[in-house]
Amino acid sequence: MYLHITEPSQKISSKIIGIWRVTNTIGHTIVLAILGALLYFSQTFQWVGWIDPLLYILIGLMIISAVFSIFIEPAFLQKSWRYEIDEEFVQLKHGRFNQYHTLIPMEKVEYVTTDQGPFLRKHDLYNVKIGTTTSSHTIPAIHKDEAIALRSQIAVFAKVKDTDAEREEKE
Amino acid sequence: MMTQPKRYHPAWLLFEFFSFLKNSFIFIFFLFILRAGTNTGWVLWAKYLFIFFAIWTLIHMVLKWIFHTYQIKNESIILREGVFVKQQRTVPFERIQNNQTSTNFLHRMLGLTSLSLETGTSDAQSSVKFTVLSFDEAQQILKVVNDQKGSDDEEEEDEPANKTIYFRSTKKDTLKAAFTSFSFLAIFPILAALYFQVDDFFSLDESAQNIFSYFANHLWLLVPIFIAAMILSVGIGYIQTVIKYGNYEISADDERIYIQKGVLSTSSFSIPKKKVQAITIHQSFIKRLLNMAEVKLVSAGKMGDGKQETNSLYPFMSRQEAYRLTNELLPHYHIEENMKKLPRKVLLLKLISPYYGTLIVGIGLFIFQREWLWITGIVFLLAIVSRVLDYLFTSYLRHGDFIQTRKGGFSNETFLTRIERIQQIQVRHSWIQRKFGVSTLEFSNRSKPVHVSQLADVPKEDVSDFYRWFKLKQ
Repeated sequence: MYLHITEPSQKISSKIIGIWRVTNTIGHTIVLAILGALLYFSQTFQWVGWIDPLLYILIGLMIISAVFSIFIEPAFLQKSWRYEIDEEFVQLKHGRFNQYHTLIPMEKVEYVTTDQGPFLRKHDLYNVKIGTTTSSHTIPAIHKDEAIALRSQIAVFAKVKDTDAEREEKE
Repeated sequence: MMTQPKRYHPAWLLFEFFSFLKNSFIFIFFLFILRAGTNTGWVLWAKYLFIFFAIWTLIHMVLKWIFHTYQIKNESIILREGVFVKQQRTVPFERIQNNQTSTNFLHRMLGLTSLSLETGTSDAQSSVKFTVLSFDEAQQILKVVNDQKGSDDEEEEDEPANKTIYFRSTKKDTLKAAFTSFSFLAIFPILAALYFQVDDFFSLDESAQNIFSYFANHLWLLVPIFIAAMILSVGIGYIQTVIKYGNYEISADDERIYIQKGVLSTSSFSIPKKKVQAITIHQSFIKRLLNMAEVKLVSAGKMGDGKQETNSLYPFMSRQEAYRLTNELLPHYHIEENMKKLPRKVLLLKLISPYYGTLIVGIGLFIFQREWLWITGIVFLLAIVSRVLDYLFTSYLRHGDFIQTRKGGFSNETFLTRIERIQQIQVRHSWIQRKFGVSTLEFSNRSKPVHVSQLADVPKEDVSDFYRWFKLKQ
């Protein structure tokens, strides 16, 4: 452990690795197809000279990024994802090379939602999205029952200490 | 207190009408002045279209005035809006983060003012705006809003008795302000703009050349002209500063802080002390040299339009005075001067991390303008200088319930907030940061837009401490 802090412990579903692989493949294929089409047009219609090298660079970068985000990243990301929710805090941690730890006091939580796309639905998984006044965070791939329980739990925890008015009174 | 639904002041129509004229001035000028004689082809159609549009706008304006109302009820303001699609908005007083009034020249002539109450919500309708309001009405609304806990029974007690004035700008302050804001240089862009405007019509270039050659032959003539120009521009600068920063007054009672400023067109700002999210202290390079500092109160609500920043304590105060004033206004906030610097090894880390900007500039120039490739060298040098400055000036301190951070190079900004104002924190570390035993710390505060403070490359022990502190103190 690099930082001396208590880390969250709950894991996300391992099925997400496959899903990420599929969605990232689709995304990268679309971008590569667009770039390829541009390259084709540029060569057929003799566009300005500098477009070609730029497109080659972009395609090269996209291929590297594709290899990384299809074959390498999903497994690492899934393995490193942790979350924990208690009465006081939402704690999130993810990332292997770049590690992120996020800590959100429960009383600053403004809303919580669950959502799923077609791929998540196939595996009965949900994303849980937690929003504060300043930003929003998504915990990916949690099993349906757990996700819904989590959502209502956060709602209960966050509601107990509702407005920031109470806190302000104390000062 | 409870009122019946009220329409806006009738002068609202006048103001709307003026702003309509102002916005459509170009069309009016073109269609009815430049092309006044032309009544054929598309010009005629454009005239018809404009007249139709103008009439519709005017009717809509009147309908809006008839249907839009506001009401004060149950500790909140209820706004009813919409002509065809009705809409009702309820804004509870306790959600109001700050309020601002601004009185321009036209307002002043008619004994009116404008008022906006800012809530901190993130959608587009985050504020309640009264563009036209009689002065008394504005005072009344403010009184009700400011006096949140006061209920109907124990009203009628004018102004909390202990409202004290902490600062009032003097002539000397204004003079100082005029010089440090360099407003006396403002005349040059004005002159240049004037020159080009006139030039469009009368082709000044030739006569300008004649004038130049005349002066080239009579150089001594330039001296009095230069002096006259300087006096004029200092005068204009001074007047500008007076209009903007004149009559600056900062006052406070137990609950709130009030800031007022301006001559001719005035503006005011008020925020409950307990809704101050943080304070920032900004020092530009010039202000650093002159030992001045600008303290700003950070509010979760919107802060006027760019140039009308009223949330600042007088921007031309000496640093010590600004600190003293802050301490008096907000006894909860203590600004500390001595802060912790980053360890020396971090400089190396900052210098060896990738130079993406330089790389992009280099590649771009290599492809497009190979003869300008040397620019990459300058960009690289600037990047190094800015990293060194960043290293030298980044500092931080945690004391009691506070976290204080400072960033910058030539100009610097100090940010000070209390733990319960922090909405969330994030710490992260990359592979290379781990090699150096450091980590990046980020925390967010409510403001519009959200204020995210980022401290890069802080020793990991301090980051862990901060994380634990935040967890424990909540």
